[in-house]
Amino acid sequence: MLPFFQWCDGLAMSQAYRDSTYLFPLTQALHILAVTIFVGAVVIGDMWMLGWGPVGQSRTSIARSAQRVLLWAGLAVLVTGIPQFTTNALTYQRSWLFILKMYLLAVTLVFTATVRWRVSIAEEGRLPSWVTRAVGAVSLSLWMAVTISGRLITYYG
Amino acid sequence: MKTKLFLLLLAVGAFCAVQPAQAHHAFAAEYDPMKPVTLNGIVTRMEWANPHGWIFMDTKESDGKVKHWTIETAAPSQLSRHGLKKADFTDGMTAVVKGYQGKNDPGLANGRTLVLKDGRSFYIGSVGGPNDGAEPQ
Amino acid sequence: MPAIVRTFAWLEGLGWTTALRESPYGYPLIETSHVACIVVFAGLVIMMDLRLVGLAFTNAPLAQIQRRLFPWQMATFVPSTATGILLFCVDPLRYYRNVFFLAKLVLLVLAGLNALAFHLKTYRRADRWDEDSQVTALARFAGAASLLLWSATIISSRLIPNNWFK
Repeated sequence: MLPFFQWCDGLAMSQAYRDSTYLFPLTQALHILAVTIFVGAVVIGDMWMLGWGPVGQSRTSIARSAQRVLLWAGLAVLVTGIPQFTTNALTYQRSWLFILKMYLLAVTLVFTATVRWRVSIAEEGRLPSWVTRAVGAVSLSLWMAVTISGRLITYYG
Repeated sequence: MKTKLFLLLLAVGAFCAVQPAQAHHAFAAEYDPMKPVTLNGIVTRMEWANPHGWIFMDTKESDGKVKHWTIETAAPSQLSRHGLKKADFTDGMTAVVKGYQGKNDPGLANGRTLVLKDGRSFYIGSVGGPNDGAEPQ
Repeated sequence: MPAIVRTFAWLEGLGWTTALRESPYGYPLIETSHVACIVVFAGLVIMMDLRLVGLAFTNAPLAQIQRRLFPWQMATFVPSTATGILLFCVDPLRYYRNVFFLAKLVLLVLAGLNALAFHLKTYRRADRWDEDSQVTALARFAGAASLLLWSATIISSRLIPNNWFK
């Protein structure tokens, strides 16, 4: 992975971000906003799966709508995140918590894009309720773990 | 299917897109890795604090004038991990700090190494600092 | 020294605020909780706002979304605020002197007032939310204002750690 991080570090974009006083913090702030919207869409879907939302036809249409928000917010997370990653990956890769967060994020994204995707928009009654609840609970836990591991880097990384 | 492709793209891209340390204002935005400094002076005060510690130091410039430095350190949990204690600091003690100067504030620095009068050396750098080898493995 | 600075200096010097400021576990716990709660809270508020302005969840009745989300918004708002107050008390003078922190407070108040006004004005007519065009216009405005204010609050918060202004 190190050569990849080195390559990222050497990009003109990374240098531009390092040189500028305002570019990085503003991108970071927008990134947090995008992450918040993304998490909102995840949480609303997970809540519904856990049974804390409407039932029947409403649930499925809300889940579909949440997925659209998820995609758009995810795109924003990507666009604002890539420059931050390329600028800092080489330095952060020394931190075990950063590496942990990366793995957690990969697992969570795969889970969200596969299992959670299908289950959240499944019609009422198609799946046993324990499956839906379990997926909602796992999704919520994974995303919270990603958030928390990121926050802890400063303190224990 | 277009949706599946988009999702795959999203998954791969978002994997790279994670903000390295959401708690963190980036080193590169505030400090200049091209401006290393070695500060030999008197610690007027040390704030053992979260999320960053602060060492306030006075150094003597070549023209005899006193320069006031504000040096950012890692959080207490990190400092302790590298062996430093709050009790290691007393107001008025001499010390040497190696770090990097602020981009916009020449009196600001990001501390990497601290050497006390008794010769003990400690890593005080925050996560996300440059790969300068200061951090013990 | 103005009274408020003296009060903050006193607050900073208290035993428990000092202990928290120096703690290897307590502070990280509180700061992490603060961010986690806020992300969930603001995320749910934004979901509600997207419905209000008609950008998402348009098939679901407005009243139903509101009824389901509101308890969770309150449940995450309380710990967000409590942890926020604790964090402030740990280093009051630094935050008091930070323009982004002050902006955040102002924006928070505005966002809160906007939410309050929306609740007071439209709550009674919740059942007619989707039919009454006047209520819909009000809802749209409140939703748009809310989106703007909460986004600005989040952005301002994220800029607090930067030492841009002295």
